[in-house]
Amino acid sequence: MERKKMRVWMALPICILFLVLFISAPSSAQTIAGPEIRIGAALCISGHGANVGKREAIGAQAAVDAINAEGGVYGVPLKLYIEDTASNPQEAVNVVRKLVADHKILAIVGPHYSSEAEATFPLGNRLKIVQICVASSKPGLSAANRPYAFRNTLTEDKIGDAVVKEFKKRYNIKKVAIIADIKDAVSKSVGTGVLPAAYKANGIEVITGDSPVTFQTNDTQFMAQITKLKAMNPDGIGMGALGPDALNIITEARRQGMTQPFMSTAPIMEGEVPQLGGKAVEGTFSGTIWDRSDDSPKSKKFKEAYDKAVRIYPGEYTKLPDYYAVNAYDAVFMTIEAIKKKGVTNKPGDLEKDRAKVMEYFTTLRDFKGVASRGFNEVGDGIKDVIVFEIKRGQWAPVK
Amino acid sequence: MFFQQLINGLMLGSTYSLIAIGYTLVLGLLQMINLAHGDVFMIGAFLGLTFAYLGIPLYLSLILAMAGAGIMGILVERFCFRPLKKAHFLGPLVSTIAFGILLQNVGTQIWGSEPSRYPQTTEITQFHLGPVVVSSIQIIILITSLALVVGLDQFIRRTRMGRAMRATSEDQVNASLLGVDPDRVISFTFFSSGALAGVAGVLTALVYLQITPFIGIRQGLIGIVAMVIGGLGNVRGAMIAGLLLGIIEVMNDAYFTASYRDMIIFGIFFIFIVFKPEGLFGAVKKET
Repeated sequence: MERKKMRVWMALPICILFLVLFISAPSSAQTIAGPEIRIGAALCISGHGANVGKREAIGAQAAVDAINAEGGVYGVPLKLYIEDTASNPQEAVNVVRKLVADHKILAIVGPHYSSEAEATFPLGNRLKIVQICVASSKPGLSAANRPYAFRNTLTEDKIGDAVVKEFKKRYNIKKVAIIADIKDAVSKSVGTGVLPAAYKANGIEVITGDSPVTFQTNDTQFMAQITKLKAMNPDGIGMGALGPDALNIITEARRQGMTQPFMSTAPIMEGEVPQLGGKAVEGTFSGTIWDRSDDSPKSKKFKEAYDKAVRIYPGEYTKLPDYYAVNAYDAVFMTIEAIKKKGVTNKPGDLEKDRAKVMEYFTTLRDFKGVASRGFNEVGDGIKDVIVFEIKRGQWAPVK
Repeated sequence: MFFQQLINGLMLGSTYSLIAIGYTLVLGLLQMINLAHGDVFMIGAFLGLTFAYLGIPLYLSLILAMAGAGIMGILVERFCFRPLKKAHFLGPLVSTIAFGILLQNVGTQIWGSEPSRYPQTTEITQFHLGPVVVSSIQIIILITSLALVVGLDQFIRRTRMGRAMRATSEDQVNASLLGVDPDRVISFTFFSSGALAGVAGVLTALVYLQITPFIGIRQGLIGIVAMVIGGLGNVRGAMIAGLLLGIIEVMNDAYFTASYRDMIIFGIFFIFIVFKPEGLFGAVKKET
C-alpha cells in the first residue's frame, strides 16, 4: 500500500513533465526555417491613391513590428517587402510577379484598388499566391477568382444597409432624397447603387429614384442642389460624398433652412466633419468597420503600433490611421495565424506548399479575432462587424 | 423652386459680374488682359476670411479687403504692365500669369493649400417672400454688388476722373495733350479693378463655404467668359453677362447634371469667340 502510494507520487511529476512537453509540443516541435519570414505588400505608394496606400503600408509594417517585438514567429522575424503599384493595374501585375519571383514572399497584402485586383487576382491563381486586398469593394471580384483571391474588406452595400436601418429607426424615415458626387467612383456607386438599394430593402421611398441630385468632387457651392433637395421635402437625405463635400452640403442645407437629418457611408468619416461642421452636422449618421475613437485593447495596440511604424512614410496624410490601415494590419496577423496553425515550414523547397497552406487556412477562417476582421466568407470576402455612428457633440459616436 | 434657383443664380452671378468688370476696365483702358486678376480676387477672399477670424464686422472687412486688393491691383500694374510698356504686346500677358502664380504660392504659404472655412460669425436670418426664402447673407451680397456696379457706372459717366478714364481709353496721346495724366488714370483703374475683385472675394467667401489659394483660377476664367459675352470693355455688358453665367450655372445644376456645367459655360464662350466676338452688348471700339 505504502509503496503503491509512493509510486503514484513519483508518477505525478513524470506525468506533469509529459503534459508540459505535450502541450508545448507544437511550438517546440514546429521549427521554422530561414533567417526571416517574407510577407509582400503590393500597395499604391504613388499615384492618386498614394495617401491611403501609404497608410495601408504603415498598417502592415505596424503588424510586422508588433510581431517582431514579441520575438517573431517561433523566433524567426518577419520582413515586409513593400512594392509600389503606382495606383495602376499594369504596374500592380509587375509588382505581384516581382514579389512572388524575386522576393519569394509567402503571401501578399494588397493591392488597393478593384481595378488593380481585377488584373492581379487571375495572376495570383496562376502563380498560386494568396493576395489579401485591403480596400477593393467591387462586388463579385473575389468570387470570380477562387481559390487564391481574398479581400479583407466589407463592401459598401453591407455598411449602407446597417446605417439605413438605424437611420430609419431613429428619425422615422419614410421618404428620402439622394445627392451624389458623380466624379468620385465610390461616392457615385454609393449614391446611385448602394443607397437606393438599401432604402428600397428597408421600405423607404426614394424620391430621386435612380437619378440623384448631382455635384462634382470639390465643388465650392451647393446652392442649386440644396434648393432642389429642399423642394422635394424628404424626411432625410442620403449622400454619396467624400467628407469635405458632405460637410459643405450639410452646412448649405442648414443655411437654406433645411432641418432634416443626413446620412452616408464610410467615406464621410474622413475629413473631420464633426469637428469642422459644428451644430449643423449634429445627428448625421454613417457607418464603418473601425474608427479611431475605438478604444478596445486590440484597437489601442494597433494605434500604438501604427504611431511607431509611421516612420516609414512620415507626413501630414499618414499621421492618423484609417480603417484601411487596420485591414492591412489584420491581414498580416491572419497570415501569421495561418503559419502557426497550418505548420508552414518556411524552407525554400517548401515555398509552394507553404503558400497553398495559407490559402487553405483562409478558406475556412471564420472566427479570426482581429482589430476589425473576423475572417473570410465562402467567396473570399471579409467578415466584419459594421458599427453605425452618429455625430454627437462634435464627435463620431457609436449609435446606441 | 424656379424663383429660388433664380436668386441662387443671381447671387453667384453677382460675384462673377464684379470679377468680369475688373477685367473689362483694364482691357478697355490698355487693350490688355490682366491674367493675375483671378488671384487678386483670391487674395481679397482670404483677406475677408482673415478679418472675419479677427472678429472685424463684415462691412469693415469689406472695405479693408477692397483697399488691400486695390493695392494689389496697383502692384500688378507697377510690376507687370508699366515696365513692359514698350515690350512685345504679349509681355504683360506672361508677366501677369507669373504674378498670379506668385500670389497663389504666397497664399499657400500663408493660408495653406487645404480649404479654409469661413467662420460662422454672423447669425443668418431667413426672410420668407411668398414661396421664396432669402437669407440675410444673400441680401448683403446682392445689394453690395449691385451698389458697386451702379456706383462705378455712374462714376465713369459723371465724374472728372471717369471722364479722364474714358478719354485715356479712347486715345492716350490726345488725352495727355489735354492735361490728363495717363499714369494716374491707369493706376486708379487698376486700383478699382482690384478693389472690385476684393469685394467679389469677400462675397464669394460668404457664398462659398470654403476657399483655397487656387479658387482664383476658375473664377478668373469665368470672369473672362463673362467679359467676352458682355462685350470687351463694356462695363454694363460685363455685369449682365456675369449674372447670366451665374444663372446658367445654377440652372444646370438644378435641372441637368453637374458634369455638364463647365462644358456648357465654356461651350457658350467658344460660340461667342467664333461667331459673335463683339459680345451681346457690343465691344467698346478704340478710335484709330
